[in-house]
Amino acid sequence: MRIRGQGSGIRGEYIFLAIMLFFCCSTVVAAADVNELIFQGADYHYKGNLEKAVSSFEQAVKLDPENEYAHNQLGILYGKKDEFDKAFREFLTVADIDRQNTFAFLWLGILNLRKGEMNQAFEMFNKIIQIDPNSADGYYFLGTIYNFRRNPVMAIEYLKKARNADSGEADTHFRLAKAFHNADMIANALLEYNKTLEIKPSYTKALNEIGWIYYNTGKKEAAIDQWKKTLKINSKDSDAVLNLAKVYNDFAWDAFTSGGRKDALKYWQKTLNINPDNKAAKYYIEKYGSGK
Amino acid sequence: MDRRLFIKLLSQGAFVSYGLLKCPVLGWSESAFDLALEGQDLIQKKDFPKAIKALQEAVRIDPKSDWAFGLLGRAHLGLDQKAEAVAAFRQAVRLNPSDTYSRMMIEITTQKPIPRLAKKEKPLTDLEKEAIHEEEEMLKKLHAEKGLDYKVKRVVIDAGHGGFDPGAVGQKGLKEKEVTLDLALKLHERLAREGKIKSFLTRTGDYYIPLSARTVTANQFQADLFISIHINANKNRQPSGSETYFCSEKASSAEAEKVAALENSVLKYDESYKKKQGYIDIEEILFKFEQNLNWSESGEFAKAFQERFKKRLPLKSRGVHSANFYVLRRAKMPAILLETGFISNPDDEAMLEQPAFREKIVDAVARGLA
Repeated sequence: MRIRGQGSGIRGEYIFLAIMLFFCCSTVVAAADVNELIFQGADYHYKGNLEKAVSSFEQAVKLDPENEYAHNQLGILYGKKDEFDKAFREFLTVADIDRQNTFAFLWLGILNLRKGEMNQAFEMFNKIIQIDPNSADGYYFLGTIYNFRRNPVMAIEYLKKARNADSGEADTHFRLAKAFHNADMIANALLEYNKTLEIKPSYTKALNEIGWIYYNTGKKEAAIDQWKKTLKINSKDSDAVLNLAKVYNDFAWDAFTSGGRKDALKYWQKTLNINPDNKAAKYYIEKYGSGK
Repeated sequence: MDRRLFIKLLSQGAFVSYGLLKCPVLGWSESAFDLALEGQDLIQKKDFPKAIKALQEAVRIDPKSDWAFGLLGRAHLGLDQKAEAVAAFRQAVRLNPSDTYSRMMIEITTQKPIPRLAKKEKPLTDLEKEAIHEEEEMLKKLHAEKGLDYKVKRVVIDAGHGGFDPGAVGQKGLKEKEVTLDLALKLHERLAREGKIKSFLTRTGDYYIPLSARTVTANQFQADLFISIHINANKNRQPSGSETYFCSEKASSAEAEKVAALENSVLKYDESYKKKQGYIDIEEILFKFEQNLNWSESGEFAKAFQERFKKRLPLKSRGVHSANFYVLRRAKMPAILLETGFISNPDDEAMLEQPAFREKIVDAVARGLA
């Protein structure tokens, strides 16, 4: 998910001071000092020196207490330092300064989610889409919350808006796919999972879900291929390992009950190859293997 | 050499020969570079429309020039064309992730709403056409329900134990695996008859399924609720009654903790979360939020089911308990574990043998879902 502001930073020599003065400065008092501190803070932030970045932005807001950008950056920096209460206060400050600053509302929503405060988070994301009806982030989080509440119709409505506002986000396509999948709209789910993978081919959760769509529609070999693709990306992906183990065990049991003991043993062995502690496969190989 | 460093050195007089600018080792198309330079000059003169024209031509000739895209972003900003500016800055950052100036301009510009860029229409693929048709058809059947109440439309029913694992065995020989399977099948049939909730079974016969595969089934069918049916047992024949478990970070009792610890020891594939320093992982926040939401919803379901058991079953209610059960934790939806009686208690065992009593259990669970 694209969240602006996490990788901020600038190199002084590239800065066009005039533009920055226009955007960053809410007062003319000590503008040069404030901007210098902001450039410095952003530069430290980019280089990962969080302490120095915080120090620069804290000085900047002392000189210009209404500087929204500096407060937002402080919010992000405190968050990165796990000081979430302080981060929350910075975003609240911005929201008080300017009721149109959607960036601050977005982070207030996210930090509410972090605290488990669903209704407050929902309210913040709703504010964002009221201020900015094109906010991909606002719709994304609202749709995601509806997904969590297993309300696929509302999730689809919001996540489609998020996708239409910004189609370049793999997470948006994935969560929209999940909503379609939950509503049994398989063609749409498949389309969105595929779009997820076009943007991010290593998105293993999408590969795993496509596997289940294939499996549940009878394309069992294609399903297995999907989970194997996941394991090529991450050999320890627990979902892919356990999905494969489950379907190999299912194949084995089907073969066994139709009299195909040899085939059954082959599948149980496949289970053990990827999931060596699988109790079912271990037991049945022990019981029916080796000509017993 | 970094392009901006090159420009900086140029401005400092380090390069004086125009011929050097055309040097092929710098890897630029001559005209793209010239146009970008011209664009930069026009920006300084505040002639933004002409700058945009020159820079658009520059990026057409050299679409990999992050420098030209960065300038194009600045030129658009000069005309307050924020959406176009952000698009150009984003392209600059895509081409050169260390272009911190463009990144910062995106952040500053997008702190507040910006208008949307018009999209180019593309012809539809076959899958897209199918998806549109499917959506039209499905949305006729589905209707939007606002509000944040949890909706259950499909359930995975797990009959505990099976195959070589009989579960607990009563004094008269009643096996837990047989009772749980019968209850699961009956519940599945009941829900199919009612037609409001789709249900799926983890097993349909007497065979063993590992714990991990049970929640895999729930994930396979995108279930909204996972119900694992068990019958309790104790070395002491006295304890009797029903109880319901759900997953939580902390166990509600020492006994629940012991049970959970025993189950958890068999699984190895849990990926521990590795926190990246200096980074706020939004997807991790969402994951934890969803997990806690599911656990809290599980608690609500557990209470509702236990309340039904208390009202409808001739069994003592032993209440709701929670612990960090791995079998429940792996579920990506609310998940509960029902213990409908003690097979080790002779009275409970006798009741569990009766089809009418089993129907009462199924009725209580089905009503709990309503």
